[in-house]
Amino acid sequence: MTNSTTRTRLVPPNAAAPRVRRGGAAARRDGFWPWLFVLPLLSGIGVFYLWPIAQTAYFSFTEWGVFGGATWTGIANYTRLFADPQLYSALGNTLLYTAIVLLGIPIAVYIASLLNMPGLRFASFYRVLFFLPYVAMPTAVAMVWRIIFNGDFGILNYVLSFVGIDGPYWTSTPGFAMFAVAIVGLWSSFGFSMIILGAGLKNIPPELYEAAELDGATPWRRFRSVTVPLLTPSIFFVMIITIISSFQLFDLLYALLGSTNPILPKSMSLVYFFYSQGFVSNDKGYAAAIAMVIFVIIGIVTLLQFRLQKRWVNND
Amino acid sequence: MLNSSSGSGAFRRRGLLGLVGAIGLAALVAGCSTSPSADTASAGYTAPAKDLSAEITYGLWDQTQVAAIDANIKEFNKVYPDIKVNVNVTPWDSYWPKLQTQASSNTLPDLFWMNGPNFQTYGGAGKIEPITSEVSAGAIDPANYPQALDDLYTIDGTQYGVPKDFDTIGLWYNKAIFEKAGVDLPTASWTWDDFDSAASAISKALKKDGIYGAGGGMDGQTTYYDTIFQAGGSVISGDGKTSGYDSAASQKGISFWTDLIASGGSPTIQQLTDTPAIQWFTSGKLGMLWSGSWSRTAVAESSIAKDANVAPLPTGEKQATVIHGVSNVVAASSKNKAAAQALQVFLASKEAQQQQGDMGAVIPAFNGTQQTFVDSQPGVDLQVFIDATKYAQPYPVSKNTAAWAALETTILPDAFSGATPVADATKDLADQMNGLLAKE
Amino acid sequence: MTDTITAPRGTTTRATDSRVTARTTTVKKRKSPRRGGSHTIAHIVLGVGGLLMAFPFIWQILMSLSTNAEVQSVVPTFWPAELQWQNFAEVFNRMPFLAQLKTSVLITVIRGAAQIVLCTMAGYAFARMRFRGRAFLLAITLSILMVPSQVYLISQYQVVQGFGWLNTLAGIVAPGLFSAFGTFLMRTAFLNMPQELEEAARIDGANPWQIFWKIMLPLARPSINVLAITTVLWSWNELLWPLVVSTYSDTMPLSAGLATLVGDKTTDYPVVMAASLMAMAPVLILFIVLQRKVIDGLASSGLK
Repeated sequence: MTNSTTRTRLVPPNAAAPRVRRGGAAARRDGFWPWLFVLPLLSGIGVFYLWPIAQTAYFSFTEWGVFGGATWTGIANYTRLFADPQLYSALGNTLLYTAIVLLGIPIAVYIASLLNMPGLRFASFYRVLFFLPYVAMPTAVAMVWRIIFNGDFGILNYVLSFVGIDGPYWTSTPGFAMFAVAIVGLWSSFGFSMIILGAGLKNIPPELYEAAELDGATPWRRFRSVTVPLLTPSIFFVMIITIISSFQLFDLLYALLGSTNPILPKSMSLVYFFYSQGFVSNDKGYAAAIAMVIFVIIGIVTLLQFRLQKRWVNND
Repeated sequence: MLNSSSGSGAFRRRGLLGLVGAIGLAALVAGCSTSPSADTASAGYTAPAKDLSAEITYGLWDQTQVAAIDANIKEFNKVYPDIKVNVNVTPWDSYWPKLQTQASSNTLPDLFWMNGPNFQTYGGAGKIEPITSEVSAGAIDPANYPQALDDLYTIDGTQYGVPKDFDTIGLWYNKAIFEKAGVDLPTASWTWDDFDSAASAISKALKKDGIYGAGGGMDGQTTYYDTIFQAGGSVISGDGKTSGYDSAASQKGISFWTDLIASGGSPTIQQLTDTPAIQWFTSGKLGMLWSGSWSRTAVAESSIAKDANVAPLPTGEKQATVIHGVSNVVAASSKNKAAAQALQVFLASKEAQQQQGDMGAVIPAFNGTQQTFVDSQPGVDLQVFIDATKYAQPYPVSKNTAAWAALETTILPDAFSGATPVADATKDLADQMNGLLAKE
Repeated sequence: MTDTITAPRGTTTRATDSRVTARTTTVKKRKSPRRGGSHTIAHIVLGVGGLLMAFPFIWQILMSLSTNAEVQSVVPTFWPAELQWQNFAEVFNRMPFLAQLKTSVLITVIRGAAQIVLCTMAGYAFARMRFRGRAFLLAITLSILMVPSQVYLISQYQVVQGFGWLNTLAGIVAPGLFSAFGTFLMRTAFLNMPQELEEAARIDGANPWQIFWKIMLPLARPSINVLAITTVLWSWNELLWPLVVSTYSDTMPLSAGLATLVGDKTTDYPVVMAASLMAMAPVLILFIVLQRKVIDGLASSGLK
């Protein structure tokens, strides 16, 4: 009902006007309403997340006993951490992983735009295939991938042997292990990127393509000058989420390489580094400092992306 | 004396928690819940009244043992019909983070499984209840269990638990592979040399079938701890203060594996990581496997069951194996300590352990209850694992075992693969380990 | 900033709605032969890519029907000599599958519903309302995304303990009712929507709740679908928290049950594969059934 009334009122030769008005005037009008909208969420976020995180921040300045009981040690954990070569090796591994997983995004843009072609048959069937890995339980798929990657009876090396390649022991050779983990990471996050980008594509008005087509733009050019610019909000969203979750690599690494894998110390991600110090070696204060460093790194990367996003969109 | 020391532990803990509480309501709540913990410890143990009504939780990590444990609890409930026991299984990888979380909040299960490497961390922090009162009341007699395991669960003369089961390491072998390679079967009098030459001979003879002579899990318990002990070395000094890795004997124990892999007698470290040794063995691709008594089930269920047998580990300077066993311990913060202790006592009894053994879950620890295990797989000389208790050495631990155990997994693989000379790796390991031990 | 760019775009679409539909149909007709040509390439790319993506699952199904020896044969067994259906029956002996399925469904439904309500409301306010401290509160909320969940495990546990919710469904469910990710997602969605509808409704005298509920929420349906999917999957697969906070095996979700099964010392590959498939099946089936509605529906609900 309301919908239809507003729509008749919408006829908007004057699209610019409302934009100017939203500012101080709106602020006064919203009054207590925004708090009604955000407080239910914020109270939970505060109690279940912010408070625990604040505690962790505090503990990073302490020597924290295995079961609690913290003694203030100032920045001792941080000075030790920055001198610890494991931090840099873990950071390097995490960056490598993130870089490989990010490669999935351009592919996802391409696949999503193929799936978005009007009149494409079997589109939903293909979509299910590409989305499947995202549905999978990490514990469940890690098992299959370990068997696929197995150096002695794995199908990957069996297939490679046909092309004359003697495949490595993927999950137990330092250089290859992170690569193998990243392949699975890309594989399992692909469905998410695809679905977000797909939703973004659906929102691009078709007439823009037609206009470009009338101007004689080639499909590639249409893709570059219509699809990509209008998709940037979605691309940025996917990138931010991908980077944030890649920096938090833990479960997959743990499940794929196995908790007793001798190369684990060399293929450690940042969060695994945190975990091994906090929950295995029982050095919780030090682990809290690692956690804070992870937090700051991700924060900086995300902030840079937001900056970049603003500039990109404004210059366009 | 011993009781009062644990009492002061509880006090210290509360003081520390108070400090945390200063910054947090949640921690304060946790602090309050410790208050009932101090009292029962000082009273001597007496079996609770049969009509004691309580609900307790029993935490453990091995799903395969649940059937036998349920049977135990059924028997327990014949005596104490009103104690309800909830069995909580948490998979191994999550069991310890969970236990740490619960210990930090004083919400540990009333009774739970403890292992050697983690025991001193919990015992030393006053998180678990000593069994002193149960022993002095005659409800538990430590003499009924292997001495090495009583020692494992003792700190400074105070014992916190008795083993519920034990495992030792043996040399599993596949008769069919030996016959095919034309090599004589292992015997109880085998030395390291006999073992090495058999391993290389099998690998050489059956290379085209992808079969190797021998292998192990490349973890301490099933492989290099045993050879270190056999060479007369040690992993950690008796007082738990210094590393034993820099001794010549210990280095010999490590070289045993480096040489075996280099000679081709064993699959490489990478091959053993991709496919665990137990699977090499059960799929008929490994002549000999260094593994524990727990491998019986996997071997019995595999396609090579009829060809499998087991012999004692080969002898180096002396005969040795690691012994380890899981213990049931009562949480110091338990609100139903009487009920938890009643169950702890019951599970330590001959009757309960016999039942565990009869159901084939494990080798029960109570002396004289092991026959069912020995008979469980005719044609396989399982007595080897029982006899091994005579020369077995306890699993090496200290207050924070996990910290230096992590070093072992970081440093030793490079030695096994030949990337780092054994002498360098063990020196490095010993130095770093001593650094950690000094901090304990 | 982003909204100033995207909002007018939405307006254009809406304003030209009728014209567009008319034009697209003619365009489609005109171009159909060439489109057909490019579809062939698309089918090849999508077919091969899709097969690669699905391969691990196909492999998993084959392995779940094999014997342990076949799984480990050096030359891969592509088709088991005899289909071992009993592997699936065996799963019921190894874990309390139905009880855990019930728990999984329950916690997933509760968290899904709560996140949709809470994140949509908060996301809307962060995107479209002006209030003191908005940027700060948003930044704080988003910062949670940047901390790995293992980090605050112990503190979070103590909070739940403080509420007395250990071993309860409330304890398992509580932290997952609130999602920074969901808020971020919904904020992005609302940012991209045209400003004018709201303005019009405001002039009509609708209060902010009515605007949100009657106008903006229906428009946000595609993103709500995405939120629902991601929440369902996350909740279904979450492992560590339910394991830590719950004490009774039969009240654990399937993800925890599966991990317990995998954690056994004897690794029976085929049964583990069968259990994995069974644990994933419910969400998989749900997705296949709903996918047309969920994803194909994006077009219509997004633009009309």
